Amino acid sequence: MAVIQMKRVTLCALRKNRKQVLEDLQRRGVVEISDTDIKDGVFQKSDLSDSRAVFAKNVSAARRALEILNRVVPQNRSMLSALEGKKQLSARQYEEFAQRHDETVRAAERLEALDRSIAESRSEIVRTELEREALSPWMETDVPLDFAGTKTTAAFIGSLPGAMTREELSVRVAQAAPQAGPFTAEVVGAAQDQTCFFLLCEKKDREAYAAALNALGFARPAVQSDRPPKQQAGALQAAAEEHRKAIERGEAEIKSLADRRSDLELLADYDTIRSDKYEVIGRLAQSKRTFLLTGFVPAKKAAGLEAALTGKYDLAIDFSDPDEKEDVPVLLKNNAFTTPVEDVVESFSLPGKGEIDPTAIMAPFYYFLYGMMLGDAAYGIIMTLVTFLLMKKFPRMSPTMHKMLNMFFYCGISTTFWGVMFGSYFGDVVDVVGSTFFHTSVSLPALWFAPLNQPMRLLVFCLLVGVIHLFTGLGAGLYEAVHAGRYRDALYDVVFWYLLVGGLIIMLLSSSMIRSMFGLSFVIPSPVATGAGIVAALAAAGIILTGGRESKNPVKRIMKGLYALYNVTGYLSDMLSYSRLLALGLATGVIASVVNKMAAMAGGGAVGAIVFILIFIVGHTLNIAINMLGAYVHTNRLQYVEFFGKFYSGGGRKFNPFSASAHTQYYQFKEENES
Amino acid sequence: MNFFNSLGLPLALLGAALAALLPGIGSAIGVGKTGQAAAGVVAEDPSQFGKVLVLQLLPGTQGIYGLLIAFIALSQMGILGGGAAAISGAKGLLYLAACLPMALVGYYSAINQGNAAVASIGLEAKRPDQFGKAMIFPAMVETYAILALLVSILAISGVGGLNV
Repeated sequence: MAVIQMKRVTLCALRKNRKQVLEDLQRRGVVEISDTDIKDGVFQKSDLSDSRAVFAKNVSAARRALEILNRVVPQNRSMLSALEGKKQLSARQYEEFAQRHDETVRAAERLEALDRSIAESRSEIVRTELEREALSPWMETDVPLDFAGTKTTAAFIGSLPGAMTREELSVRVAQAAPQAGPFTAEVVGAAQDQTCFFLLCEKKDREAYAAALNALGFARPAVQSDRPPKQQAGALQAAAEEHRKAIERGEAEIKSLADRRSDLELLADYDTIRSDKYEVIGRLAQSKRTFLLTGFVPAKKAAGLEAALTGKYDLAIDFSDPDEKEDVPVLLKNNAFTTPVEDVVESFSLPGKGEIDPTAIMAPFYYFLYGMMLGDAAYGIIMTLVTFLLMKKFPRMSPTMHKMLNMFFYCGISTTFWGVMFGSYFGDVVDVVGSTFFHTSVSLPALWFAPLNQPMRLLVFCLLVGVIHLFTGLGAGLYEAVHAGRYRDALYDVVFWYLLVGGLIIMLLSSSMIRSMFGLSFVIPSPVATGAGIVAALAAAGIILTGGRESKNPVKRIMKGLYALYNVTGYLSDMLSYSRLLALGLATGVIASVVNKMAAMAGGGAVGAIVFILIFIVGHTLNIAINMLGAYVHTNRLQYVEFFGKFYSGGGRKFNPFSASAHTQYYQFKEENES
Repeated sequence: MNFFNSLGLPLALLGAALAALLPGIGSAIGVGKTGQAAAGVVAEDPSQFGKVLVLQLLPGTQGIYGLLIAFIALSQMGILGGGAAAISGAKGLLYLAACLPMALVGYYSAINQGNAAVASIGLEAKRPDQFGKAMIFPAMVETYAILALLVSILAISGVGGLNV
């Protein structure tokens, strides 16, 4: 129920056992390994970044190969497969894979090569198609497109802008080169406002015609070939066909490699594990025959670790308490009821030095507040059932996912409780169904009261919950201060505030205006109110005097004290912040009744029932999703801002053990976490 | 005076319409902005989808609160239940006033929460481990929408009981 105590571990072993010792530690996953800063004549550090680069290359090759496989041979994976978690890997499977390692790397490389050549073939097909497209206006030409003429003639193959017949073309060319000799021209095709033609003249007139044609805007064909266009197009088609076949062959081969999928996954993880191991080796101090390892281990695991290691290897292992200055990693340990909210604490910040683990005090409040904000029995039952079934169906899901589902499981129970208290079951579905389909007025009455009828009553209750929550936070601060022997801080920073805020609340409650506003029936006797006023005034004076106690200058000290007293407005806004419990609770209920009302609009009868069911399902699914999110966000906010603000700042570093499954994606070791 | 009293129902309905309109527009703007930012993040890293979706939805709640107020107001006036009771001009104005906190605060807080959520999506893209904190910044803005929602709910249910 707290932050786990850590021991500093120092281990010295023989270098010949290095591999086995490290693999043993890695499989156990209970030691966080630190940098060993000894560097002298005896101990050296080794730089293994080259080997790690090779592993990293294999890992990314395996991942790319898996991507290719998943693209060509998609796996049937359901939406829930993300919950399945990592597959179990035994030590024997791990050892056996060493045999298949290199061949799997080759398979990964082969897959990549196949994928590359398929991509090349695809782009080749596109290229040939473009080329055939470009050839299409020249199909009628029965000489190669680079034909320049014979011994005595010169040929021009190309196009001029504008659509022209043979006669028009001849006239324009003749006008452009009036001095030149005879020529013959033939239109072979047309493309996009171009006239494609073949022109033949005597060799001596070549320059003249070239100049004339250029002046008219002559353009050579976009494609050149040493074969007549028809033959060329045929050759291109054959090439494209060849590439298509190559693609088919490549895909067939990729499909034939699909049974390598699990080996490739194992390769990615195997080399990730090895890379992690080499990273650790880089942190060790090594002499010629021994190596030295330092790190942190949870105190409870120390004895087991020592027994297991000394039984197998010749080594010296020593545990000591970390000293004050050391940056000790933080690992939380809580019971089954409170563990689920550990991740909520972690996403704020882990406990810093000397701070308590807030998980245990926070968890009951978390479920309580969440339930009030969602507050519908039917939604609560759905949440509870769905999370329960998922946790049962996927026992190996990742711990983070399990914690989250478990948290929503407890939140669901709390939601059900509040739904029963407030009489909300899918909003007011019982009333609506009763009056629409059976013409009777039935309803499930609230066990306590219906919030929509008495909002002020619930508001008062919410503020009360807020005061309890805030005072619990202050109490946690008190505990920390007393525990650390800082009795003065406990008095000045916590007790004074208890007295001030408590006294002020009693004073407020004794005023008739507040009582009538909130509809409170009890009366606080005036001596109590006066007493509370005096206590609050004394506490305020105390805060003014001590709030700035770190300043030596008396004026500055009082000024800082006054500023500290100003913080009382913070308490006011903190308390009002709990009114969101009412607002969000009402939101769920009212939206649910809007859905029911819309669903009932089609009236009774068979058609009405079908419409009702459709709208009911869609509407309530939406409402559940939106309000679960809203309740989650605002419960977190109340915990982070209002509650943690009173005593908790965090700043701890997470315990990050050297473990085989720390960075793997597909597998984890069977015996891990059992030692 | 008769003419003023005949305006009772229209004024009250105007209030309910504003409560649905303005926060709805604000939320649409806010969710639109965050959606663009979220799509950019998912383009880089599809695994962030779940988290940025949560951040995108945060400015969407104001529209729902507005709907809620409109709904409560409509049913108080009797428009939803059928057979709207005659509402005096003064009462109509009271309903209108009661709807205004949600209408206006809902509109502005949705847009500003959208801006904060866009920044948080940027934070999430750069530091995916800081999701808890990224979620809190936009949630801070929402506090004011919730307070306005509360005032509007209390005011509308209070107005229903008044005899003016």
